[in-house]
Amino acid sequence: MSGKRALAAVALVVVAVTLFVVGRSMAAEPLRLTTTGTRYAVTVLIEDPAPGRVTAEVEVTSGDADTVTLSAVMADMGHSTPEVAAREREPGRFLAEGELFAMSGVWELSIRLDGPAGEEQLAVKALIPA
Amino acid sequence: MIRRLRAAAILVLCLVAVLVVGAAVPAAAHNVTAGADLRIAQTIAGAEVTVVIKGTPRVPGPLRIGVVAYQPVAALPVGLEVRSVEDGRTVTGTARAAARDPQYARLQVDRTGPYELRLSAGNEVAVIPFRVLVDRGSAGDFLIYGGLFVAGLLLAGGLLTGALARRGAAMLLAAGAAAGVTVAVMVIVFEPWMPPPVPDGAAPEASSSEAGVAAGGRPYAQARVATVPARPEAGEEFTLRIDLVDGSTGRPVDDLAVHHEALAHVVVTSEDGRYFRHLHPLRTAPGRLEVRMRADRPGRYLAHTELERENSGGQLTSATVTVGGEAPAPETQSSDPATSDPAGAGAGGVGAVPRVRPGTPVAGRPATIELDTPAGVRSWLGMAGHLLIRSQDGAFSGHVHEMGTPGSRLRFTFSFPQAGRYLAWAQYATGEGVVTVPFAVDVTASEATR
Repeated sequence: MSGKRALAAVALVVVAVTLFVVGRSMAAEPLRLTTTGTRYAVTVLIEDPAPGRVTAEVEVTSGDADTVTLSAVMADMGHSTPEVAAREREPGRFLAEGELFAMSGVWELSIRLDGPAGEEQLAVKALIPA
Repeated sequence: MIRRLRAAAILVLCLVAVLVVGAAVPAAAHNVTAGADLRIAQTIAGAEVTVVIKGTPRVPGPLRIGVVAYQPVAALPVGLEVRSVEDGRTVTGTARAAARDPQYARLQVDRTGPYELRLSAGNEVAVIPFRVLVDRGSAGDFLIYGGLFVAGLLLAGGLLTGALARRGAAMLLAAGAAAGVTVAVMVIVFEPWMPPPVPDGAAPEASSSEAGVAAGGRPYAQARVATVPARPEAGEEFTLRIDLVDGSTGRPVDDLAVHHEALAHVVVTSEDGRYFRHLHPLRTAPGRLEVRMRADRPGRYLAHTELERENSGGQLTSATVTVGGEAPAPETQSSDPATSDPAGAGAGGVGAVPRVRPGTPVAGRPATIELDTPAGVRSWLGMAGHLLIRSQDGAFSGHVHEMGTPGSRLRFTFSFPQAGRYLAWAQYATGEGVVTVPFAVDVTASEATR
């Protein structure tokens, strides 16, 4: 009886340790990407990063942008996706919907901003899980 | 007891398997960690220098940046600006380039992740992207120390409860202690096979569960080479501009790996081989490399550029550049590179004449080229010596490395691909600068193809 209990205790300890270690090493969802250029700074929030259609919220945290356009490149495979124009929902907050990532893997998300300060293209790497 | 141990062992093995699948190994390109410096050669303000960025063991912490000169410079000031690409915070400093023991500037960084280093010297500016990484404690260490800690705790508890004659509880604690020791020992045994932990600030990497990994290298880069001004005159300084474009996406190629301590190696030679420069262009914009240079005579010049994209193999691109203007007086000209003036940047002088063995190398078979050097040769571009080879017509270009020959000599082994005349330049660095030894090699056809 005590043997079974001991085994259960050991199993519990090991499972707890496993969850802790694996939890530390895995990226937390959703995807939050921040990048700063010379004219603008943005935070891109992708609630459900996955291949196919995604919704990306772009918050312009610095600079005054009139238009925001997203596109993506997977450098390892030489894939690129068409530009997706984001619409401004409220000042400084843009929402883009479209097929940005054709497959899982590391993509470079390009954020092209235009406004009175001029045009700037920012880029940030994003891991799209399978 | 044995059954319990076996169960614990199986669980630990599952844990190891999960770790192997779940964790990814970061790419080494442009990463700065404590103990792993980033070294990038740059030809800036007419000087051949190597920028060294030393990492920090924790953030906030200092990055130390120094500039090592490979030619005599009078404490050339190099402006440094380190900008976090994530939050835009910028710190500035100045480094003074020196041949020996350069002074390192300390620039405080607050976070890990992507950064840009803006270098300015003379009126030239380079922007080098890099990432600051800080090692995280490894999961293996955590399990080893955690397991031993639990074992120690439970053993003490077991002894106490045993003393109090509570047999069941004592057994339970002893079993727990055994499990703790088992976990620690198993991890010690299996740690060499476990992937290293991903450092803080590392670029996202696809694991085997995602697509787009191990694609066998990135698409080819195409180079559009131009000069600014478009038609430089002999003796006039001009900019050689290389725009790199990805062959699959049409986008600028901005993922160059640091390859032999440089983003790219540009070798510019005149058609006759009397002019030779081995330069390290500056990244001035995404996908754009630029280097300032001067050609002494009018004519056609060949520019070979060696580069390597992240997670890919090396590539070579070639282009020709035409320099206009008046030819200098004929008596200063010499058609044989072996007897011409020393070419290349910096100090030097023709050292000992290289020995080629066999005397007339056979195409397709290894030949050795040995060169005596003065004492005090120092590593340059990660190697003691470099040998740049060009076929006389410029269609072939090679870059051979010295493989660590003892004594004051450099030895290169190379199989010349075809019969014919090759122009070669051996390069090494001393305290005074980079020495370039030009010579020519005549290669005969092999018996089989004759």
